[in-house]
Amino acid sequence: MRNFVLASLVISISLISFSIASAQAKNEVLIKNATVMTAARGTLENTDILIQNGKIARIGKNLNASTSAKVIDATGRFVAPGIIDAHSHAMMDAINEGSLAVTSMTRIRDVLNPGDISIYRALASGVTAANLLHGSANPIGGQNSTVKFKWGKPVEDFIVADAPSGIKFAMGENTKRSSFNPQGGQTPRYPRTRMGTLEVIRDAFNRARDYKQSWDDFKAKKTKMPPRTDLELQPLVEILEGKRLVHAHGYRSDEHWNLLNLADEFGFRIASLQHGLEAYKIAPEIAKRKTGVSIFADSWSYKLEAYDAIPYNAYILWKNGVNVSINSDSDERIRRLNLDAAKVMKYGGVPEEDALKMITLNPAMQLGIDKRTGSIEVGKDADLAIWTAHPFSVYSRVDMTLIEGDTYFDRSKETQMRADLQKERETLEKLDINKAPGSGGTPPRIPAEKRLADRDDADRDGGNY
Amino acid sequence: MKLKLFLLSFAVISSLSSISVSAQTYAITNARVVTVSGETIEKGTVVIRGGLIESVGASVKTPADAQVFDGTGLTVYPGFFDALTNLGVTAAPRPATPTPGGGPQVVTVGTQATAPQSNSNYPAGLRPEETVEIDLRGGDAQFDTNRNAGFTTVLTVGRTGIFNGQSAVINLAGESVSAMVIKSPFAEHVTFTTVGGGQYPGSLLGTFSAMRQMFLDAQRLQEMNRIYADNPRGVTRPASDRSLEALIPILSGQIPVVFNANRENEIVRALDFAREFNLKAIIAGGQEAWKVAARLKAQDVPVFLSLNFPKRTTSSSPEADQETMDLLRFRAETPKAAARLAQAGVKVAFQSGGMTSINDFLANAGKAVENGLTKDAAVRSMTLTTAELLGVNDRLGSIETGKIANLTVVKGDIFGKEKFISHVFVDGKLFEQKEPAKPAAGERPGATPPAGTTPAVAAVAGNYSITIEVPGQTLTGTLALIQQGNTLTGSMQTQLGSTPIKDGKITAEGFSFAGTVEFGGSTIDILVKGSVNGNQIAGTVDSPQGTVPFSGTRNP
Repeated sequence: MRNFVLASLVISISLISFSIASAQAKNEVLIKNATVMTAARGTLENTDILIQNGKIARIGKNLNASTSAKVIDATGRFVAPGIIDAHSHAMMDAINEGSLAVTSMTRIRDVLNPGDISIYRALASGVTAANLLHGSANPIGGQNSTVKFKWGKPVEDFIVADAPSGIKFAMGENTKRSSFNPQGGQTPRYPRTRMGTLEVIRDAFNRARDYKQSWDDFKAKKTKMPPRTDLELQPLVEILEGKRLVHAHGYRSDEHWNLLNLADEFGFRIASLQHGLEAYKIAPEIAKRKTGVSIFADSWSYKLEAYDAIPYNAYILWKNGVNVSINSDSDERIRRLNLDAAKVMKYGGVPEEDALKMITLNPAMQLGIDKRTGSIEVGKDADLAIWTAHPFSVYSRVDMTLIEGDTYFDRSKETQMRADLQKERETLEKLDINKAPGSGGTPPRIPAEKRLADRDDADRDGGNY
Repeated sequence: MKLKLFLLSFAVISSLSSISVSAQTYAITNARVVTVSGETIEKGTVVIRGGLIESVGASVKTPADAQVFDGTGLTVYPGFFDALTNLGVTAAPRPATPTPGGGPQVVTVGTQATAPQSNSNYPAGLRPEETVEIDLRGGDAQFDTNRNAGFTTVLTVGRTGIFNGQSAVINLAGESVSAMVIKSPFAEHVTFTTVGGGQYPGSLLGTFSAMRQMFLDAQRLQEMNRIYADNPRGVTRPASDRSLEALIPILSGQIPVVFNANRENEIVRALDFAREFNLKAIIAGGQEAWKVAARLKAQDVPVFLSLNFPKRTTSSSPEADQETMDLLRFRAETPKAAARLAQAGVKVAFQSGGMTSINDFLANAGKAVENGLTKDAAVRSMTLTTAELLGVNDRLGSIETGKIANLTVVKGDIFGKEKFISHVFVDGKLFEQKEPAKPAAGERPGATPPAGTTPAVAAVAGNYSITIEVPGQTLTGTLALIQQGNTLTGSMQTQLGSTPIKDGKITAEGFSFAGTVEFGGSTIDILVKGSVNGNQIAGTVDSPQGTVPFSGTRNP
């Protein structure tokens, strides 16, 4: 009895101290003594980062935090901004709506799968945010989702609420071949040539203008019946009004040039050219329009459209003042974007911080989320990765990944987690419900993970990423 | 003139004549009566007259004209409900809309209707105006299996596609559709699938956009109809559109929407969509609904929980990759779903979820009880709660004076192994079952083929190596067919993964089964038909992408 009283006393005291702690600044984290690569103001040695309420509160030496703060000793470690992938198809249960050439009514938000293991693997590689794009089967694809990889949270928490809306456009091989190779029973789709692709886009914007006019007339009481809320044309009106970012897939410079001209004609800006392996050929023209380019660091000649790609693409674009980002377009490549950034230092000699920006601040700017993330600066979201060595080194690994101050990957817990999972698996496999039935044949070996070939030439989904 | 009017009203009245009910009066005496709405009567009498429950109680007099059953050792329950089936829909599959451009004819798998080509502006699968009532056929015999398992009332819906059409609550007896139907329509049913045939929507992305656009168009049509009704002069009339008009009572909440959503992501998507248009939603399937129980409770969304618990159908092979944790957990957690939902205050009605043997229904309800659900709650989830959720609890779902005489009489514990459904009353009509003289040891109930089928059943069971000739690509794999009477189970394995056999049956031509494969990020429905000749197997695989042949040989 006495022991019981004593025990409950101890419990209530610890409960009290717990509640005092949580009354202070929410999730306070102090990262001590790191080499901080800010991706904005150079690299700072032996520096602390104080995180409060999910934001970077202070950056400096010998910072103090309240006693309840989680303190991470990062001596000998590098802290870099969380990597942002400007072109990903992770956590999507569908990629292309290939039945039509214009599918601006589709929304990636509708098909997100927060349980995709790619998310966790990306976190383990220092990636904290991504631009989830529709595939490239259509001249005008679907509406994107800009997400942070908040693994374990409900899907609505992944969405970066204040990120500007975007949309995928596509030119070239994938768009054409999707028309040539329709699904069974489908009439071969228009457009079947590069000129047709451009015409489809122009036609869509003309229809969008007419659509906007119909609403303007209705609002001015010139018409009595309300026009249709057209989910296909509404996003295009938003593009014309400068409210929606266009991320345009393409390889060849002539196609980029055509699209930039079409955008000039309709008075909007292309936010980013995706892939842009020949973008170096028209770098000044791209720079003039403040259009970003999101590239592969290499992969020259991997498809016909990529024959004129060169490793100096990033360098030439950067030299011309273009905002360049490096993307993965692949659940596998997303795990080593840090090394892709290192490549642009080798080819042409992009300075270290500018190379780092190509996987952090630059994609944040292309996605319109640079006010809140993309670099280590006071007031920004605490989206960080702690690396064991310089992130451009092949020997470097991620120790911890934080989003808004919360830990979403912690390598020190991996061993235990794996052991726990193994134990859980053994328990589950022993259950009757999970035991194999006596009959039913021996299935052939099916690889659990159908390897997703990378880049946009994967053999899944017609290869139209 | 007056005479004409009189005749007209007479005609109307005669067409509104009440359904024919059993003239026989019955009394079940000395039985345990689980009224569900009130206390259980340990020893009582239920009197059935004119298709209704005339009286129930511990000291009810047995009418002189009643046929009396001594219910000693028997328990009387309200007739059991199955909250989602496609019973009563016996029509053959119909071809989908002809493909424009002269492509191959595609049969929309499982689309069941005899209705002529629709004049809807929308492709099959996006026609919310279609009702199961027009697809229903009368007749008691078609329900034998389900009724013998204790079921008297079901929600039924027949079509596939995104909008599965409007469902009806029916009694499992009646020589005509009008005698069967209790309530029609009950709800619109929605599945997150595609329409097939290369048409839009052809992916999950398009599914949501197409539905969203239709609901927006329906809102606009309602507004236009209002403006036009105010004053049609000088206004072009709004185009009549039965498909959109069918959505208007759904938008106003008069007709609920049953979303087929079993896994967490699907359920969340259904809840998001329902919230977007303020729909009165119900989740059907819902085996992972417990993961979002708080949201279901907050959004006041009930679950028509499938008792078709996931089973392992593949045998282990030393070379096969291990099963995913997700799958292992899913099988282990599903029997706990009902208790967790009840704990969270979410209303649950049980449904069969396409299970191959309806006898699994009570067995799996029993597993839910073993996993924490109270027996009382389990009974309610197949009686009164279901009746409430279907909006028919004023006439069904409990044993009360004046309610419809749908009763299930059971010997033994309904959730135990030793049980026998001795009598089932539907609309006061008695269906009696003879207890098997010798319940053969080891033989599962339901394993024997239902009465009326030809005794000589083709033997197709076995393991086959098969080749599927997809244009430009040849898929290889295995097909494991397990046969029990006329029922086929098992699985098909190809490069596209494992496909458990659904709705497998022996047909006049050979066999057929349905299933799904994952391809290109979407789930594709397939229908496999074939026949076995010696050790050779051959047939076709129908999918929204077309029909392709397959062939193979039996493995020794």
